[in-house]
Amino acid sequence: MSDDSHALKPEKSLLGLMRPDHSRGWVDWLTTVDHKKIGIMYGLAGLFFFIVGGIEVMLIRIQLAQPELNFISAQAYNQLFTMHGTTMIFLGAMPLIAAFFNFMVPLQIGARDVAFPRLNAFSLWVFMAGALVLNISWLFQLFYLFGWFDPIGGKDIVPSVGWFGYAPITTTEFSGIGSDFWVFGLQILGIASIAASLNFIVTILNMRAPGLTMMRLPVFTWMALVTSFLIIFAFPALTIALLELMFDRLFETNFFRVEQGGQPILWQHLFWVFGHPEVYILILPAMGIISEILPAFSRKPLFGYPIIVFSGAVIGFLGFAVWSHHMFTTGLGNIATAAFSLLTMAIAVPTGVKIFNWVGTIWGGRIKFTVPMIYAVGFIWMFMMGGFSGIMHSAAPADAQQQDTYFVVAHFHYVIIGGIVMALFGGLYYWLPKITGKMWEGKLGYWAVGFVVVGLNLTFGPMHWLGLLGMPRRTHTYLEETGFGTLNLWVTIGAFILAFGLLMVFIDMIILLRKKKTAGKDPWDARTLEWTTDSPPKVYNFHATPVIRSRDAYWYHKHGTPEQKMGWEDEGKGIHMPSQSWFPLLIGIGMAVMGTALSLHSGGVPFMGYIGIAGIVIVALGSYLWVFEGPGGYHIHPDEETSDDNS
Amino acid sequence: MNRILKGMGKFLGLIGILLLAGCDYQSRQSTFDPKGPVALRQLELFNLTVWVCTFIFIFVGGALAYAVWKYRERKSDDPDFKPKQSHGNPLVEIGLIVASILLLVVIAIPTLDAIWYTHDTPDDEASKLGAWYQGELSEGAETEVLEVVVYGLQWWWEFQYPQLGITTANELIIPVGKVVHVELRSRDVLHSFWLPKIAGKVDTIPGRANSMWIQADEEGHYYGQCAEYCGESHAYMLFRADALSNEDFHKWVEHQKTPPKAPDGGDDWGAWISSVNANPDSVKGDDVLEGASLFYSKTCVVCHAIQGAGIAGIGGPDLTHVASRKTLAAGWLDNRKETNDESGDAEIDPEIQLENLTRWIYESENIKPGNRMYIGSVGVQNGLNTLKGTPNEITEEEARKIAIFLQNLK
Amino acid sequence: MSDTAANVDDHGSHSLNTATGIDNKKLLMWLFLGSDCMFFGTLISTHLIYRKLYPVVEMPPTKIFDIELTTFSSFILLLSSFFMALAVSAIHKGQLKSYRTWNLAVILGGLVFLGGQVYEFQHFVHAYDFTIWSGTMGSTFYLLTGTHGCHVAIGVLILISQHIASYRGRLNTSNAMDVEIAGLYWHFVDIVWIIIFTAVYLVEYL
Repeated sequence: MSDDSHALKPEKSLLGLMRPDHSRGWVDWLTTVDHKKIGIMYGLAGLFFFIVGGIEVMLIRIQLAQPELNFISAQAYNQLFTMHGTTMIFLGAMPLIAAFFNFMVPLQIGARDVAFPRLNAFSLWVFMAGALVLNISWLFQLFYLFGWFDPIGGKDIVPSVGWFGYAPITTTEFSGIGSDFWVFGLQILGIASIAASLNFIVTILNMRAPGLTMMRLPVFTWMALVTSFLIIFAFPALTIALLELMFDRLFETNFFRVEQGGQPILWQHLFWVFGHPEVYILILPAMGIISEILPAFSRKPLFGYPIIVFSGAVIGFLGFAVWSHHMFTTGLGNIATAAFSLLTMAIAVPTGVKIFNWVGTIWGGRIKFTVPMIYAVGFIWMFMMGGFSGIMHSAAPADAQQQDTYFVVAHFHYVIIGGIVMALFGGLYYWLPKITGKMWEGKLGYWAVGFVVVGLNLTFGPMHWLGLLGMPRRTHTYLEETGFGTLNLWVTIGAFILAFGLLMVFIDMIILLRKKKTAGKDPWDARTLEWTTDSPPKVYNFHATPVIRSRDAYWYHKHGTPEQKMGWEDEGKGIHMPSQSWFPLLIGIGMAVMGTALSLHSGGVPFMGYIGIAGIVIVALGSYLWVFEGPGGYHIHPDEETSDDNS
Repeated sequence: MNRILKGMGKFLGLIGILLLAGCDYQSRQSTFDPKGPVALRQLELFNLTVWVCTFIFIFVGGALAYAVWKYRERKSDDPDFKPKQSHGNPLVEIGLIVASILLLVVIAIPTLDAIWYTHDTPDDEASKLGAWYQGELSEGAETEVLEVVVYGLQWWWEFQYPQLGITTANELIIPVGKVVHVELRSRDVLHSFWLPKIAGKVDTIPGRANSMWIQADEEGHYYGQCAEYCGESHAYMLFRADALSNEDFHKWVEHQKTPPKAPDGGDDWGAWISSVNANPDSVKGDDVLEGASLFYSKTCVVCHAIQGAGIAGIGGPDLTHVASRKTLAAGWLDNRKETNDESGDAEIDPEIQLENLTRWIYESENIKPGNRMYIGSVGVQNGLNTLKGTPNEITEEEARKIAIFLQNLK
Repeated sequence: MSDTAANVDDHGSHSLNTATGIDNKKLLMWLFLGSDCMFFGTLISTHLIYRKLYPVVEMPPTKIFDIELTTFSSFILLLSSFFMALAVSAIHKGQLKSYRTWNLAVILGGLVFLGGQVYEFQHFVHAYDFTIWSGTMGSTFYLLTGTHGCHVAIGVLILISQHIASYRGRLNTSNAMDVEIAGLYWHFVDIVWIIIFTAVYLVEYL
């Protein structure tokens, strides 16, 4: 047989275009529908924006190092903390979580891809569009500084309204086109999140391997499911709130404009109906990662698996019932305050249960102190600290002193860095050998986690004090007489230590990437299905469909009784792979054009309205072509390591 | 940069002391030093939560530390050892759930009690105006406690006393030991009224009236600050509260109700204005008079009000007794030498006050970026920046003259 | 073209072999509708909150609303739901002709409803000067009913696309699921209209 007979013929698409199957290089990445490649792109974007947000906050910390400094202007400070929050949550943490969902969920459930591969690509490119719209505002701010650009609304070009953009500061009267970038950016990111979540739910519910019942799912996948449900029910509230705000800004409607009867408090309710579940959207996947790492390195099953799963679901459910605890100082009235106070305390119970069960998992095990395990144990400590200040907030009258101070900042950074970031980096250390096929060596990872833990405690520990000593958050500077100077310097030094630790993590990752592939299928002697695949996994993941006979299937396959061994199902027809597509990317481009142009339109830049409409037309066209293109597909025969067209 | 280096030295010296004595570390906005019943109750509740959390921390953290130590893999261990694959223990689980619910109940009950206590203005007979206030009151006010309407504005505070007919700015004066009912409002964006030593914060929200009650148990000068992000100069939106003895409070009210003297020293502002109109040159050579006429001609009067002078501008702080205020620019500029005074005894230093007033008029943008006096309010009133290059531009010399005039508004 | 059809077949048979037994696309639509409930829930609560907060408005809605017309167009929309069910059943049986008839009826119903809404909007604006700027009531009313109108319009577009596909031989019993999913969407949009009609129109007459 000549090579030609194996050559892959790309499938025809609409408009005489070829589907870019079997391309190589950047075309392959731009048009891929492979969940692993999409996951990697999400991950790279997340790490990139993590650095961007980090640089933003280091500028903030320098400004606050001493009283009455003027290292950056007040307006720039406001823009930095707004973009720091928005970037870290929507462009740092969420894509990193999406990266793990994308890469790991199909592997953990024994599937060859997600349920809707092109929808997955759509989510990725729409996410990229949203990130672009938010951050392109820095470019225009630069143009403004050079004097090339002077929009209506003046210097306020990068969003400066805080990450929760409380009305009415977001209306045209009080802020410039920064708010437009913020509205369109978040709106587009919301579309991406909802689409991705719908996809994950269908994937997890429908594409499980035979024998993998719901109560045998790895906890990370369970948390992915709960998180996805939270996203599809929470994001609509934000989308509508942003839609109303967008109408206020573009068409001067009256949703939040006070002089016309608009109620700013409505924004807060709508935002936190989204915003509180969002907190759990971030923390539940982190808990899922921890629930994978702890059993793997304690060499023991998760303690109380059903209770961990159930408490995750309860947290998700209760997460919708506590939003007003962000608003204890807005004059809710006694009854509402009391109700939300008690519900908030109630949510501490399932959270506590998880911590008990993690301790129970370690108990009686044989703990291997690998880097991911140190992150996981560190997570339990740090998350517990964040949880405690959370309980303190739930007592509403005490919260009246803490709300909007550095105490709150300390609280949510313990939860986000001590919790989410520790878990995500632990997850990176745990899964990067699977993703890259290369194995960690050396001690740098241990040093890094040490610096991260010390740095984060030095940074956020003193912030508790600062808050209780009366320092409000989001202040550009403070008078020398307040006495906040010493602690703030301490915090700044801590922040640099933390940043140094994180930098070491990045260096460690770069070192890893330059190594030879040595990881093998199962470097950790782990428990779940993803470790049965090659490292990195082949494009089709599994050469045959795995058949599951127990929870922690792979562990029992390796170490259990013969009847616990996994089976493999192969119909011998070859593996059906979906075709690649240009149209998700096209839709993403349309969204980016639309968001940027409409934001500039509200700054009075000529012709931008038309370009915005052109963007919408691109989106509509892309969607239509996508639908009529169909999923396509071709077959691969893994045994021969060749594939051919399905004709 | 020098400041950072100097601070570094200070930091290294202090780090040990702070570690030892963290709890004693105080500031003038500290919530650990309550001077009123509301703040006290809030602190007590906070302390309770700290105790409960410490208890849980010792229990869970101890278990975690023990487990991590006890079950670690030692060098001598067989690397392939497989511990017993146990799946959980329902009794332990249920026990822990019940225990955590019980601990939360310990917090929940005092929380509920405190929610009602800190929010509902107490019906305190001794605090009702009829019981202690001797001056003139609005109708029906005898049976009410003192009411202050607080307006949070970008980026300053307005305090109105509807029962007494007084309006002032940035410095809240309250009688010591009396319940004061505070109504919180806003005309622009969200702000939050926070006097840490007296009471926790409540937001001021446009289109809505919030309320709270405060009471200061000790005479003194209290420091407060806006706690809700409200735009560019949020950090510069401070305020002060003075708790005065009954006698001093009466004196203060009387003083507030008396219009300030006209620039020429007389009582009749109208007469002075017509004399200046008749003879504009009569102000020449006298800083107060020149300042006063500049105050009129440079459009200050559009936004600022001076009672008794027939000046009733809206949008900016009422300047009727501006010279009697200890601070300027919403607390950012202090007119006293002893800037950290908490007793309330520190006096205004006229030289510092003059310098502050001059700077504030001449270069307010450098003190409080984005302030309305500088940038104006779009379509309503020009700010000082739009006056630049026009005949109405204020020079530093003119600013000083206006400041001298304002210093007369005691 | 036949290639693509074969693919769709292939994919269809794969997807029925799911862990829950529910078709992937159908599950996706159900989940989307769940999410959509939150969209409309937020919009309807915004409307009701402002309506309760400002019970007295310059232009009483009972004076503006042409309740007979809206009732009629609501009835047509409901009727179209019934036709939709018939169309789905027809395509399952492979009766392409009957499917086309009923589908056309659904499309017409949707268009009549949309026409009614367009007429209603322009009538409110011209006769009563009730616009999106008329207080909070105007803003919430137009955003809510407008969003619903967009849903109906998208539904009509989907149905028309399927109608055209049926003439090109791309619609048959094997992908009847696509019609069923469009049907799910259509029924949902109708049910939401019942809620909106009650919460926005009928309550004003209490």
